[in-house]
Amino acid sequence: MTGIKTINFASAFQGILVVFVALVILEAGYVVQYYQTRNIVVENAYRRAQDNIDRVEQDFTRIAELVECAVRNNTWSARVLATQPDSLWALTRGIVEDNPLVYGSAMALMENYSKKAGRFFAPYAFRDGNVIRNVQLGTDQYDYTHQEWFVKALDTGEKGYWSEPYYDEGGGNKLMTTYSVPVFDHRGTLAAVLTADVALDWVSDRLAAIEDYPYSLKMLISQTGSIMATSPSYDSINRRNIMDLAEEMEDGADFREINRNMLAGEEGSRRASLQGKSYYVFYDKMQKTGWFMSMSIPEEEIFGELRMMNRRVLGIQLLGLLMLLVILWVTIRNQHRLMVVNENKSRLESELQVASDIQKAMVPKVFPPFPGRKDIDIYASLTPAKEVGGDLYDYFMRDERLYFCIGDVSGKGVPASLVMSEACSFFRTIAGHEKSPARIVTSINRNLVEMSTNDMFVTFFCGVLDMATGHLRYCNAGHNAPVLLTPESSVQLPVIPNIPLGVMDGFLFQEQEMDFTAGEGIFLYTDGLNEAENADLDQFGMDRVIKAMNQTFTATEQVEKMLQNVHSFVGEAPQSDDLTLLYIRYMNESPEAVTERHLVLHNDIQQIPQLAEFVELVAQTAKLDSVLTNSLNLALEEAVTNVMLYAYPAGTDGLVDIGVLIRRDQLEFSIIDSGKPFDPTAAPEADITLDVEDRPIGGLGIFLVRKIMDNVFYQRKEGRNVFTMQKNLL
Amino acid sequence: MEVKITEKDNILTAELIGRLDTAVSQEVSTALQPLMDGADKTLVLDCKELSYISSSGLRIFLTIRKAAAAKGGKVIVRDINTEIRQVFMMTGFLNLFEIQES
Repeated sequence: MTGIKTINFASAFQGILVVFVALVILEAGYVVQYYQTRNIVVENAYRRAQDNIDRVEQDFTRIAELVECAVRNNTWSARVLATQPDSLWALTRGIVEDNPLVYGSAMALMENYSKKAGRFFAPYAFRDGNVIRNVQLGTDQYDYTHQEWFVKALDTGEKGYWSEPYYDEGGGNKLMTTYSVPVFDHRGTLAAVLTADVALDWVSDRLAAIEDYPYSLKMLISQTGSIMATSPSYDSINRRNIMDLAEEMEDGADFREINRNMLAGEEGSRRASLQGKSYYVFYDKMQKTGWFMSMSIPEEEIFGELRMMNRRVLGIQLLGLLMLLVILWVTIRNQHRLMVVNENKSRLESELQVASDIQKAMVPKVFPPFPGRKDIDIYASLTPAKEVGGDLYDYFMRDERLYFCIGDVSGKGVPASLVMSEACSFFRTIAGHEKSPARIVTSINRNLVEMSTNDMFVTFFCGVLDMATGHLRYCNAGHNAPVLLTPESSVQLPVIPNIPLGVMDGFLFQEQEMDFTAGEGIFLYTDGLNEAENADLDQFGMDRVIKAMNQTFTATEQVEKMLQNVHSFVGEAPQSDDLTLLYIRYMNESPEAVTERHLVLHNDIQQIPQLAEFVELVAQTAKLDSVLTNSLNLALEEAVTNVMLYAYPAGTDGLVDIGVLIRRDQLEFSIIDSGKPFDPTAAPEADITLDVEDRPIGGLGIFLVRKIMDNVFYQRKEGRNVFTMQKNLL
Repeated sequence: MEVKITEKDNILTAELIGRLDTAVSQEVSTALQPLMDGADKTLVLDCKELSYISSSGLRIFLTIRKAAAAKGGKVIVRDINTEIRQVFMMTGFLNLFEIQES
């Protein structure tokens, strides 16, 4: 457990280091980014302010141009009508009527211009609700000729003059401005000043409509510096002069300078501080009217978004940190898991050891296996490359026959061992009731295929040794050919390879056979022997296997000798594959040489040619001449045809089992079927002395059987017809 | 199993090639129908290439022999091998047929 803690501390330190380095890099990047962003934000704010100011100016310009246009359009009429004062009522009224933007219009004659009109005559038309009223402005008490709008108009000339904004006491206390132009009569004499009043009450709304920073102050300022409108509206500063206001402030130095510059016609932006707060002030002069517009925005407003962004970045950083911590935690925990895995591994190893013991117990390991028997000598060895392996061998005695097998499951380790144990139990089960190695192999194959273990196959060799006769029947399923030891030589047993088990069902495994005499043996092995590799990757090889064979060795000596040889060959190189050796020696000195053969046919006469092949095999085994072979063939055909034609009802499928026991001095055939009871020997003897006309067509079959065989007899056994035919040899 | 039938100078010759066992007896019987039809002539069963005969084959021989006897024809069995000769001997067929060696 101390080991676990050490690892945890080390990894925790590593994790913290990673987090720290990440933080430093993050912060450095963040600082650089902050200052860059700040500049961008200020630039952006300036552009926005400029944009807004421009738009307000455009609105003004548009209105101003409309009004200027309306006035100029009437200067021609005014020039003509100047001498007819009475007609001027209609003129001014017309200007107001035709131009919705114009609140009022006056035609103020020069002093004493018209005798008829008097000293001051200025007819004025203005809106009063929905109606237009007329008044005469010029009285003896009201000398308009000294008013700003009059004087400046004369100064400015044809271009016209826009007055300082003012509050019109008569017209609902509205913010107004007046445009005025001088009018000359047909003689070229200065006759009057024509005016148009424009309401500016919409300016406040226009300023308020600017979408901007919430706490900015927007101001419209006249040529002389009086505040005409603000947004948000501050009554306390309305109509005040900006210079005066700045003077009144204790720390208004920055603003005083800005005001001076602005009124001098400068445009742009400046940073100013007031009462401990920083402001950005943007200002601009409107070209048409000569008025100013300014926007003062608290610094914190401008950088508000940046701050917001800062907070977000900080939040993301925190989140990142948190994630790093989580990763750190998970990593440490995984390491803990690794320890758990290691513990599991060692537990697995001990379980594997148990599995290994179990697997070893699956193969017979007690030697000699059949104490007291002098006719058999067996020894075996199984060494898995890992704890468990895919090699197997087995043998057991049943009805005086030795059933044995050796096998090698593809692959190694646990998956192979599982298939190995399956194969072992299949062999035990199937060979417990089956005599033919081919049928044993076929059954095991079917079972393994049904297990459908992917890509797993088993090379397998199965043999059945008749202890009485030394006759061996064997079937090889893709396994290495065993070595046959006779007093003369050690050679590999001829084997039909067939295919390994578990590859496909329905394969027709072919069986082979041979006869042992006393002292001969069969040495079985898996490829862990001949393919054992040394450090130079050379293989042990079959030559070394054959060379190590000694006919005088006991089974134990032979196997131990082989193991010794292969171990010294391999040397220090690790065992690459499971290694299994099985040596069986047949020691029966006086066998009763009996060989058994079987053939099973359906009740179909088309299968008769197979019978001929069967008889041919028997003849070879018993070393019969061709005449006798032919006779036996004939007798068997007659007997089997009889069963095929008569034992089973027409159209039903039935089997005919043909067996033969080949003894030194006698052949004994038995024909077995499960059909209705039928005794062929009961047929009457055919009379072969009759003439052609009298000879019956049938009845020759059983007659021939009797003629050829020395002895025939029929038995009904366990519901089956057993017809036995014996032929003496010698 | 193969059967070749030729007719020359009023002699019907059937050449039997292969093994005459139960599996092929039906088809051989059918193939030899011309001999049954011409049972009034001289019928030759050429067995030089016949390697084996079972009782089902013997039946066919006997059937032809009976037809020839009934219609006044004649059956000659030619060139039987040792094994078949033994069968003929066992079954008394040597007495029923005229056996010729070429």
